[in-house]
Amino acid sequence: MSAPSVIETQALSKVYGPQRALDGVDLKVAPGAIGLLGPNGAGKSTLMKCLLQLQPITSGSAKLLGREVGREGREIRKRVGYTPEQDCHIPGMVGCEYVTYCAQLCGLPFAVARQRAHEMLDFVGMGQERYRKIDTYSTGMKQRLKLAQAIVHDPEIVFLDEPTNGLDPKGQTQILELVHSLWQTYGITVVLSSHLLNDVDRLCEQIIIIARGRVLVHDTLENLKARNRRSAEVVIDGRYQELQAACASRQWACEPLPNGHVKIAHQCASLNPLLALLHERKLAPLEIIPSPNALEETFVRALELSHANP
Amino acid sequence: MPIHDISYKHWDGVHLGVWHRRLAIARHGLTACLRNKWMRHAVVLCWGSALAMTGLLFMVGQLLVADSVVVQWVGNFNPGLQSFARLLTTWLEQHPEISVRTTQNVLFYFYCALLLRAGIFILGMAVPLLITQDLASNAIIIYSSKAVSRADYLLGKFSTAFGLLAMAWLGPVCAAWFLGNLLTPDWGFFWHARAAIFHTLVFGLVAMTLLSLLALGVSAISSKEKSTAAIWYVWWILGGVVAPIAVKTRPWLQHLSFNYNLEQIALAIFRPAEDLTTARESIPILGEMLRDVSTRSMSALSTPALWGAVTWSWLMVFLAAWIIRKRVKPE
Repeated sequence: MSAPSVIETQALSKVYGPQRALDGVDLKVAPGAIGLLGPNGAGKSTLMKCLLQLQPITSGSAKLLGREVGREGREIRKRVGYTPEQDCHIPGMVGCEYVTYCAQLCGLPFAVARQRAHEMLDFVGMGQERYRKIDTYSTGMKQRLKLAQAIVHDPEIVFLDEPTNGLDPKGQTQILELVHSLWQTYGITVVLSSHLLNDVDRLCEQIIIIARGRVLVHDTLENLKARNRRSAEVVIDGRYQELQAACASRQWACEPLPNGHVKIAHQCASLNPLLALLHERKLAPLEIIPSPNALEETFVRALELSHANP
Repeated sequence: MPIHDISYKHWDGVHLGVWHRRLAIARHGLTACLRNKWMRHAVVLCWGSALAMTGLLFMVGQLLVADSVVVQWVGNFNPGLQSFARLLTTWLEQHPEISVRTTQNVLFYFYCALLLRAGIFILGMAVPLLITQDLASNAIIIYSSKAVSRADYLLGKFSTAFGLLAMAWLGPVCAAWFLGNLLTPDWGFFWHARAAIFHTLVFGLVAMTLLSLLALGVSAISSKEKSTAAIWYVWWILGGVVAPIAVKTRPWLQHLSFNYNLEQIALAIFRPAEDLTTARESIPILGEMLRDVSTRSMSALSTPALWGAVTWSWLMVFLAAWIIRKRVKPE
């Protein structure tokens, strides 16, 4: 039996003056780690805001966690977490006080709120800096704090709008690991909006590509990769010349990459012909990465289609 | 390395109701206001004035009771004053209802009006902390993404302003009434002075509601803290300057001052002119003293421009509501 949908929309539209930010969005999203992709101004943030009722819906309907958006605002938001893209702290507050206050706004009693605030600050990796005023925090600390306030009330679904913006690579990795654990370990559905395809590729099982207010693609990452299984990256210890010769015999393009991997455009629906060739030539690969750029290719193709059919 | 469990933990407790969330917003607002040391000092001064008022009521109470310590003590220095006090005592015994009622109603009318200015001043310091700061820091988005609606948020902020006024104004006035009557030789004063506290409470609730709504409106005008504070003080001071000038030229201009409107509402509620007339007619000595009060002053006291004040106050509230509606949005 499939899990009930966490997000359901029917002909959801949002209009700002002459501009149509969302145009008849139909979605049925199962729980999991969901990546929301799209270029700037595609309507990702608007979709999130409509679902959270930060923006009123112009037409259509939406359900979040089985409840009607627009009618049961408070009840929905009690079970939802949100980290906005921009800074939005309350000035003059210290970190732990802020997270405690956010928990209280979700209906947690003060003592519980304070305890959970400290637990969540531990979880996101904030130490003694939690006792400092937020105004003095670095970008990384603010991102961690935003994540802590979004999960302090133990939501069932968390919307993360560009959570790695402004972070250094180490900080990005740490935040993405935390986000990854939310669904993988603790069963909290994560909706990650990002324009960084790598982030989404690492974390998400489902992908929604949106552009010009329309959903272009909604599928699992696995299916998307299967559809684009036309190339692979092979990691091989030396013997590049032999691999190149083998590929040439099949008329497959073979190109060394700066990271030492070799990209092979095998043009087949599965990896089996490639594996057979490697076996035949006694080339033992250290690693084979199927469709390494599947997401990027899908994304670009979807955008091209959207531009071709405005 | 952490020595305690830092993994994520689920919570399956019961959520508190929406009133607790509104209360949390109000409490947070009050805490933020009281972090400002000048505001704390101003509130303490208001309570200091309540102690002074208590002392005054104690003295007045002693003057109205036969053979009280104060009357005897006064007699040591001024036998005339002692005779006056004894006359008052006799009159009190005949008309306890009128004497205590009249005295305290007039006293509390003036005390309310005086302390209201302190309340408006303190509220001006709090204006940037109500909505302005949230607009500047985008905190409205955080509120909107939690289990509170825009109405809950505004109700919480309204309660902050209302609570601050209760702390700086209505609280000290009520405390002064209670302590002042507690220290009188006869606790029957509580009953006789009921009109004063009733009028105080009615006027207090009306004025606090009006001022809190106006403060929210001003606070939502801009996301710059200095601007909203300046708008509040300039409106208050300009109103105070314009009102006396406009009396002879365009009297309706007086109503642009919220303070003037509140004064008219206070006059309509306390009706001090009636008390002064009663006192003048009932106590011959007091009548002599009050003869100096000019007819024009008495006329101003006895005919407040209530409907104008109410109408303009409503207009101001509508304007504040419109500003809030336009400005307090997640985006």
